Amino acid sequence: MSETSARILVPVGESSTFRNTAAYATREARRVASETGEEATVHFVYPVRWQLVDEVERSASEEVADVLDRARVWAAEDLDYDDDGEIDDDGVPVSIETAVVGEDRYLFSPSDFADVLLEYARDRDLGRIIVDPEYQPGGSAPMLQPLELELSRSDRIVEEAPVDRVVERGRFPSRSNLSKALVMFGASFGFYLLLAGVLDTFNLVTGAVSAGIVTTVFSRITFRETPKAGRLLRRTGRFILYVPYLLWEILKANIEVAYIILHPSLPIDPKIQRYRAAIWDDLSVTTLANSITLTPGTLTVDVDRDSLVIHSLTGSARDGLAGGTLERAVRFIFYGRAAARIPSPRERGTVEDESVPQTPEEP
Amino acid sequence: MTPLEYLISGLVLAGVFFGFVAVVGIIRLPDLYTRAHATSKSDTLGTVLSLGGVMLLFGADVAAVKTALLLLFMFITNPTAAHAITRAAYEQGIEPWTADDGGGD
Repeated sequence: MSETSARILVPVGESSTFRNTAAYATREARRVASETGEEATVHFVYPVRWQLVDEVERSASEEVADVLDRARVWAAEDLDYDDDGEIDDDGVPVSIETAVVGEDRYLFSPSDFADVLLEYARDRDLGRIIVDPEYQPGGSAPMLQPLELELSRSDRIVEEAPVDRVVERGRFPSRSNLSKALVMFGASFGFYLLLAGVLDTFNLVTGAVSAGIVTTVFSRITFRETPKAGRLLRRTGRFILYVPYLLWEILKANIEVAYIILHPSLPIDPKIQRYRAAIWDDLSVTTLANSITLTPGTLTVDVDRDSLVIHSLTGSARDGLAGGTLERAVRFIFYGRAAARIPSPRERGTVEDESVPQTPEEP
Repeated sequence: MTPLEYLISGLVLAGVFFGFVAVVGIIRLPDLYTRAHATSKSDTLGTVLSLGGVMLLFGADVAAVKTALLLLFMFITNPTAAHAITRAAYEQGIEPWTADDGGGD
């Protein structure tokens, strides 16, 4: 790979300095192309953290399309003018592409993001990656530095766009707004009163004060997105349906495990399997992982990349897992009926045996 | 005894039974991963059944609601703890016991 390249990939997300990063990327593409005669192209790639088929997240996918549209418009604008603002018709042509990646997996750690970006760069033969200094793919979790580190492990050239950061950073970790504050305040106030048990003036006042403090401190980090009343209610409703089902599963499976443990010959056949779950955000992965652990015979050992590492006690517990009823139920809670129809892990062929990593990390 | 008292006793006894199963499991099962199964589940169910009995004993009272919350937290924290322990083992490269390792015992 040469020192520099006119084939550039720019990871895209909502960020205050993205406008300048886009300008820098197109300028660089043109500069390098005019020096080396290479064909210039800039790809704006949006790695998404959630699933776009989700009926209730449609507004989120519109947001993605909107950001990519803006990137395209800005780039086109930049290409018409050169550095001193003069109209510049005879510049080297730069092709602009936009793409969304990662819809089909669960992106969590910086290396997950780096993987999808590098995969894209390899497929399209893009030699250079320009990262926006305010880029935060992880939403509230700061992960720019680890992401850059992961990216620079590849053979691509990775650099941070030399643009001015906006110093005033009220945005960390996410913007607070009224509905976040209201949901947070309501929940903590309700919980306080529930524990207090008596609705007298003392409890009402101390409760309001405590809930106020909790809201001020936490409402910005508890929610990544603004809670919408409709979605919240639908999810809560479906979650309430899920609880008896889960309890029943727990009871059934516990009896099975009790039988195995008390059986004189201890008929167990443990195995670790890797299993790629078709769910896409933190809360549903947590719910699924905990449900799997609660259902006897299966235990979530690790959530690694886009898959769960599961230790199962018996063959029948493994079959139950591969049948995917739990996974389907979790999808039903978070994404509604349509998502519940996705085939089971066995049908998708996403279950495989797994061995324990033999290179323990040194502290 | 009233039917309610029968129900409460039944729940608490079932809770004790699953607690017992968990203990037997810890002793009999061969390795950390399989033992985590016993502690995280039979134990959870045992606690949940006993607490369910306690809830019925309290009847319609704030204490019952608090017990319900306690149940909820058991459901969240128990699997999380089991996950944390086994994950630590997994990352240290501890091999799970398999059926080939020891025939039956």
